[in-house]
Amino acid sequence: MSTDGRNTTEGGSPAAAPASPKPYWIGIGLMVMGAVWLYNGFGLPQGARYAAVGPGLFVTLAGGGLLILGAILVLQIWRGESFEAQDAEDADGSTKMDKRAFLTALVAVALPIVTMGPLGMPFTATLSFVLVANAFGSRRWLLDLICGLILACAAWFLFKQLGLQLGRFFPPLGV
Amino acid sequence: METFELLLHGFSVALQPTNLMWALVGSVLGTAIGILPGIGPALTIALLLPVTTALAPTSAFIMFAGILYGAMYGGSTTSILLNTPGEAGSMMTALEGNKMARAGRGAAALATAAIGSFVAGTIATLALTFAAPAVAELAFYFKPTDYFAITALAFCSVAVVMGTSRTRGFVSLFLGIAIGVIGIDTMTGQPRLTFGNMQLLRGIALTVVLVSLFAVGEILYVASRYRSTPGVMAPIKGQLWMTKQDFARSWKPWLRGTAIGFPMGALPGSGSEIPTMLSYTLERKLTKYPEEFGKGAIEGVAGPEAANNAAAAGILVPLLTLGLPTSATAAVLLAAFQNYGLQPGPFLFTSNPALIWGLIASLYVGNVMLLVLNLPLVGIWVQLLRIPRPQLYAGILVFAMIGVWGLAGSWVDLTIMLVVGLGGYVMRVYDFPIAPVLIGLILGPMAETQLRTALAAGQGNPMVLVSTPLSAILITLAVLLLALPILLKRLRANA
Repeated sequence: MSTDGRNTTEGGSPAAAPASPKPYWIGIGLMVMGAVWLYNGFGLPQGARYAAVGPGLFVTLAGGGLLILGAILVLQIWRGESFEAQDAEDADGSTKMDKRAFLTALVAVALPIVTMGPLGMPFTATLSFVLVANAFGSRRWLLDLICGLILACAAWFLFKQLGLQLGRFFPPLGV
Repeated sequence: METFELLLHGFSVALQPTNLMWALVGSVLGTAIGILPGIGPALTIALLLPVTTALAPTSAFIMFAGILYGAMYGGSTTSILLNTPGEAGSMMTALEGNKMARAGRGAAALATAAIGSFVAGTIATLALTFAAPAVAELAFYFKPTDYFAITALAFCSVAVVMGTSRTRGFVSLFLGIAIGVIGIDTMTGQPRLTFGNMQLLRGIALTVVLVSLFAVGEILYVASRYRSTPGVMAPIKGQLWMTKQDFARSWKPWLRGTAIGFPMGALPGSGSEIPTMLSYTLERKLTKYPEEFGKGAIEGVAGPEAANNAAAAGILVPLLTLGLPTSATAAVLLAAFQNYGLQPGPFLFTSNPALIWGLIASLYVGNVMLLVLNLPLVGIWVQLLRIPRPQLYAGILVFAMIGVWGLAGSWVDLTIMLVVGLGGYVMRVYDFPIAPVLIGLILGPMAETQLRTALAAGQGNPMVLVSTPLSAILITLAVLLLALPILLKRLRANA
């Protein structure tokens, strides 16, 4: 996974807005990820009999690169490198992080991992729709539920027509 | 005049009613997503990749090209009327365009942007028509060593140019390369970094990473720092057409913008931000009305808009001729080619001329469509901005999840979406560039294959990597790109 190392430290530090002044955890996370890649790379053949380069070399290079870059980043942070949040069309990088909104949106993204298989795409998408709308400040639950349901069902039928494998409509009922 | 004949053949493909319909669908979609926040051309094409299973390649690419060009047109509308650039390339347009709109000259600003986009798009497509076959012809002689050198240079320039610092650019690039090595090694069949998970054997798809970084990361980020007071829209006032003086002040910036945008778009890493910025700076220097700059000078809209569209055509040159993506959108287009089992490059010009020339011809057609769609109908397009943000972002997540789930119906992909999405959030909070991740992900495996093929041919001697004149030059350039800024800094410090 790409961001293994980061997640272990994800919990607290990014909460400080606009950006915590010394995000050492990013550098350390990168170094951890680099170490995992390096360890795996060393377990693979670095050379091959006729090919000169084996399947392990690139993995080792990627891991080594991340390890070094993580260390450089830690050094830069120590020297006082500044990190400013990016501005987006509807977001202000300099405002404080809204934790409740962030976590609600995060639940909406995580929900499909659990419900997509057993409860189907239209149901899951409707729930996620309501959650994201709520994270952005909408309090009209019923309207969001109806909008989400219509969008999810329409998308399910449309993409099904296009040949996409989206699973059953609502598996608990066997449809 | 072989090129001309091939182009005519391309027009016979592009003008078929079905393909015209797909060009229209692409142009409409492109304009819409250019206007809407939170969704850009790369994400849209990635979400539409599943349609490649149902559509013929020519129709699909004609639609994708419409999206690519359309997003450039749409982005300028929001920049001018709302001062919120929908795409990175429209940032410069907002500087002068919005001032013009506030001063009651919005119609003229929209017109010079749309006509400038049309002029630039057409000239750049013309340049593409003649440059692409020539580069493809050259590329026939490229060896694996040369291809490796090209990817190495692309890596360096992407990491150095994009983002606020070289370290952060390289972090993004290496994250992409690291994700790219996951899965079965194509040359030996050995599993790499799969952690015993069967589903990771096929690797992590570009679509999953792209959707997670661009859609999920953006949704999490905007939700956490949402600015709920929408920008004030400047009313579209003034004549719907430009005055004689507006034309006189616009045509040279259009041409200069095109001349800057097209070659820069073809270079890895420059994207659309740098050419538009260069064009703006140039127009500011050359203008006869310097006092108007910063208060709504039409040259400051005309030049960057032309550069923006020309750059969009420019990215197609390395993509079609060498299979080399130079931006996030180009990386997704390459993934679309791979979905069809096609490898862009010199051989595609000979093996599938109907596709390549149909695509190029459709760019001319799409440009005309976009001009007609955008100029008179701008009032209708801006209505899209009335979609309430909560429901808009919720809808984007629904499509993102369909795109990821539809790939293989796997919860592993959904978990990757969550983790990489969180990564995308962190990258926005701490200002890491996102495009290098995608370039690393898609070019990494290509670089590895070329490196291994080249070294195998050279019996393991690393000198083989600089054995041809082209590879030697390109590797030198890559090293210079890395070392020069450090050396200059040292020299300056010593001076």
